[in-house]
Amino acid sequence: MILSTTNTLHGREIVETIGLVRGTTVRARHLGKDILAFFKGIVGGEIDDYTKLLAEAREQAIDRMVAEAEARGADAIVSMRFGTSEITGAAAEILVYGTAVKLK
Amino acid sequence: MTPEERQPTRDELLTMAYVDGELGPDERRELESRMANEPQLVRQVAEYKGLELIARQMAPKEPQDYEWERLARDPAQRSGTLLGFLALAVGLLGLAGWAVFQVAVADIELVPKLLLGSAVGGFTLLFLVVLRARLRLLPTDPYTKVQR
Repeated sequence: MILSTTNTLHGREIVETIGLVRGTTVRARHLGKDILAFFKGIVGGEIDDYTKLLAEAREQAIDRMVAEAEARGADAIVSMRFGTSEITGAAAEILVYGTAVKLK
Repeated sequence: MTPEERQPTRDELLTMAYVDGELGPDERRELESRMANEPQLVRQVAEYKGLELIARQMAPKEPQDYEWERLARDPAQRSGTLLGFLALAVGLLGLAGWAVFQVAVADIELVPKLLLGSAVGGFTLLFLVVLRARLRLLPTDPYTKVQR
């Protein structure tokens, strides 16, 4: 499955637009990590616990979007975008969406 | 000419570009049809794919990764974190126990006591149910291995 943020794929021809595909997730770390992250926020630097949390959410959302695209017979997803929202504190809420297409 | 100075052949360049996904559709189709009849091309592609995998695995880590891994193994860091959490847990659980005891022996009516007990019990039960579900799902959650 080819994922691209561009509207076209260089060297490949899009023969059919399948439609919107998306993946979402909301993930949190456990309280222990939140406590450590709180102290890291005081002293500065990268809060790796939250970096990892965002990465987990990003990968899960992408996998869900790809699974939907595969189920609909797509070869690629173009115009892929990430979005986020705020539902609850200390949680990573990721939405990823794009247009599933078939390639020649 | 030493081996280091040897220039790659056209087929080697083609198969490298094929493995890297750099060929156009026509070039790719042409190479794939040649591969059906030329086993040495198939071997070359397999070899380059193996090299690509090795190269990816050997990609240098970010400098900070080493430091984080070293810190994660550092006995002072580990024992400090463990002791900190232990002290915090003992203190919070002790305080909770003390508060429950104070309410139990306090001179207040039975109904508010029971209502408070029900609220605390319900809170604890809900937490345990969620914790149980998480522990059940944890082994099947592949995203806990994602680093960044």
